[in-house]
Amino acid sequence: MSETHKEDYGAIAVSDFRAQAPARLHLQFLAGERGAMTRQITSPRIQKLGLALAGFKHYIHSGRVQLVGQSEIGYLAQLSTDARREAIRNLDLNRIACALITKNLVPPHEMIEEAERSGLPLLQTPLVSSEAITLVSEHLQYALAPREIRHGVLLDVYGLGVLIEGRSGIGKSECALDLIARRGHRLVADDAVEVRRIAHDALLGSAPELLREYMEIRGLGIINVRELFGVSAMSNPKTIDLVVRLERWAETGDVERLGLDEKHVKILGLEVPRVLLPVSSGRSLSTLVETAVRVHLLRARGTDAAQNFVRRHAELLQASEEDDGITVAKGHASRAIKT
Amino acid sequence: MCERCVVIPNRLGLHARAAAQLVRTANLYTSDVRIERLDGSAAADAKSLLSVLMLAAARGTQLRVRAEGEDAEQAIKHVCEVIAAGFGEE
Repeated sequence: MSETHKEDYGAIAVSDFRAQAPARLHLQFLAGERGAMTRQITSPRIQKLGLALAGFKHYIHSGRVQLVGQSEIGYLAQLSTDARREAIRNLDLNRIACALITKNLVPPHEMIEEAERSGLPLLQTPLVSSEAITLVSEHLQYALAPREIRHGVLLDVYGLGVLIEGRSGIGKSECALDLIARRGHRLVADDAVEVRRIAHDALLGSAPELLREYMEIRGLGIINVRELFGVSAMSNPKTIDLVVRLERWAETGDVERLGLDEKHVKILGLEVPRVLLPVSSGRSLSTLVETAVRVHLLRARGTDAAQNFVRRHAELLQASEEDDGITVAKGHASRAIKT
Repeated sequence: MCERCVVIPNRLGLHARAAAQLVRTANLYTSDVRIERLDGSAAADAKSLLSVLMLAAARGTQLRVRAEGEDAEQAIKHVCEVIAAGFGEE
């Protein structure tokens, strides 16, 4: 049974890009709005039209935002009217996703006409080019990142992003509620977690807009965590550092006894450490999750209790074999446990 | 009550991973399973990892496996097999 469904987000329509972009960009349509729904941005990288206006179009990538700044506007301004129109037409405006004019510069009317004619979305921002490039590429990096929705609860526990997974009805939300209400940890998302691979080694989890702040608890229905427990019970989107999987005791094939081997689960192609916790009455899940996080934090800082213990035990075995003396072995054993 | 004796055959003895394997095997059965050193210096609940590790059984250590319960015989047979096979090591 698959609990995930993939939504490869390799493209974003220009209209969505404009709607979701950071407010600071103040994106306005100057022309070509009719193409905004159909033209797709497929790369977070940005290009400057620059040399392409002078006829060198070789490196124009169709899926990128094309920036038009002071130098482009200045170049066009010193051309004759005919040459200007020619230069703009030459760009092959049907192939370009969209163009963005910075610093609220006013483009020549030929550019507006040509954009309108070919349905090329021509956007404008008050920001200078360098700022616009940073904001746009950051936003596109996020919007275009591979993503999937995972069934589970994402919490911030001691600053670590912990994704609790397991079949429905196993008690994920109840465990999360205990961690939030009684232990002061924070909710990112309940039930559906939007996971994005925002870098080659990082996954970011967030709540879908509609579900933000809400949880469903059997018997209580839908609750709002921020209203009930305050704003400190809520967390912003969080990187996923650890997956805790809850399973019914009977279903758990191979429970970890030593804790020597770190298990992983693959999310969007990245390996995330995973702990499998069997659920049964008398086991306090929230304490177990907290402890799992503490173990993980310690391990990340180089302290591994399981490894230390096993090393001590191996030394003990070796010593008892060398001495071949039972009393010695016994003495070692009791000392090993006490210290 | 059934019992059987077995000797630890592998070079590393009843080390941590071997002990985990033994404990997993014992947990497959409902019977109480106990392991004692034949010299009487230590005894362990075969379903408890730390308890088994406390046996400090190196290569050549003689152990007695006892079990009590419905599936005692199968449990002893299986646990002794795992030990005699050297936990899949040399």
